[in-house]
Amino acid sequence: MSLKDDDSGDHDQNEENSTQKDGEKEKTDRDKSQSGGKRKAVVPGPAEHPLQYNYTFWYSRRTPGRPTSSQSYEQNIKQIGTFASVEQFWKFYSHMVRPGDLTGHSDFHLFKEGIKPMWEDDANKNGGKWIIRLRKGLASRCWENLILAMLGEQFMVGEEICGAVVSVRFQEDIISIWNKTASDQATTARIRDTLRRVLNLPPNTIMEYKTHTDSIKAWEEFHGLVNSSGR
Amino acid sequence: MSAGSSCSQTPSRAIPTRRVALGDGVQLPPGDYSTTPGGTLFSTTPGGTRIIYDRKFLMECRNSPVAKTPPKDLPTIPGVTSPTSDEPPMQASQSHLHSSPEDKRAGGEESQFEMDI
Repeated sequence: MSLKDDDSGDHDQNEENSTQKDGEKEKTDRDKSQSGGKRKAVVPGPAEHPLQYNYTFWYSRRTPGRPTSSQSYEQNIKQIGTFASVEQFWKFYSHMVRPGDLTGHSDFHLFKEGIKPMWEDDANKNGGKWIIRLRKGLASRCWENLILAMLGEQFMVGEEICGAVVSVRFQEDIISIWNKTASDQATTARIRDTLRRVLNLPPNTIMEYKTHTDSIKAWEEFHGLVNSSGR
Repeated sequence: MSAGSSCSQTPSRAIPTRRVALGDGVQLPPGDYSTTPGGTLFSTTPGGTRIIYDRKFLMECRNSPVAKTPPKDLPTIPGVTSPTSDEPPMQASQSHLHSSPEDKRAGGEESQFEMDI
């Protein structure tokens, strides 16, 4: 049940892969129109503390009953904003609801600017993610600790970190952190050790590492089953 | 024999040292060279210094006046970035997500407060 929910969320992300080039162009045009003209760079203000990298908040929500497709993924993921400083982060974060108060089947994504929160992005395709499943009630605190550690460069793995996701589901919540190189065991081990330190998790919490390649295979198998059953 | 004799005759001397008595109040070097303000012990890596903040420092920035005002281009997402007293019907929510760009063009920042959902 829980695994299915998690995969269900991942399916949406994977669908983006099948978008045509025209779709990509359309998305780009939409982004431009949303920003009301030329998209200017996001930079720290004069009295602000700059971050090592710019980051973008995204929100996605799955509508129950609708079939997964590239179009529905496009419609269901929404960019909230990009920030370049500590103060700009708090501006966005303070005006967003906490993960624990989200309803339905929702995700927050926080990724470095320029990286899309999907498996196939160039920065993600050779990578993977640490996954932590939480009982209900812990997501807001753990998510806050995770993103503060990521923005503050506490993981000490250079440019390896791509982003983080909190997924709100019916029976449990899931937080994950994505890195670029799944085969780099020294880096993934260091990320795991830092996660344990900064998240202050319950003692018996299980952490698992999943490569995006495995996620794609699981999605393709699931999709095949759906097709063969004639849904 | 002569070689051995020469070796044994090499004189040895103590390493020269000088003792300095420190007077009261002499200021010793500070002990926190390896940290940066708001940073951690390991804030320098080969190739340069990375910008590092610990959780405590980030939390303090939360109270900065600069961080208080909402971002000017915050999109309106009911239940996420704007309040909603009731969970809107799925269809309405979906419709709103679709029309969000129009809301931006029409009313800009004010639209999130005038919304009827």
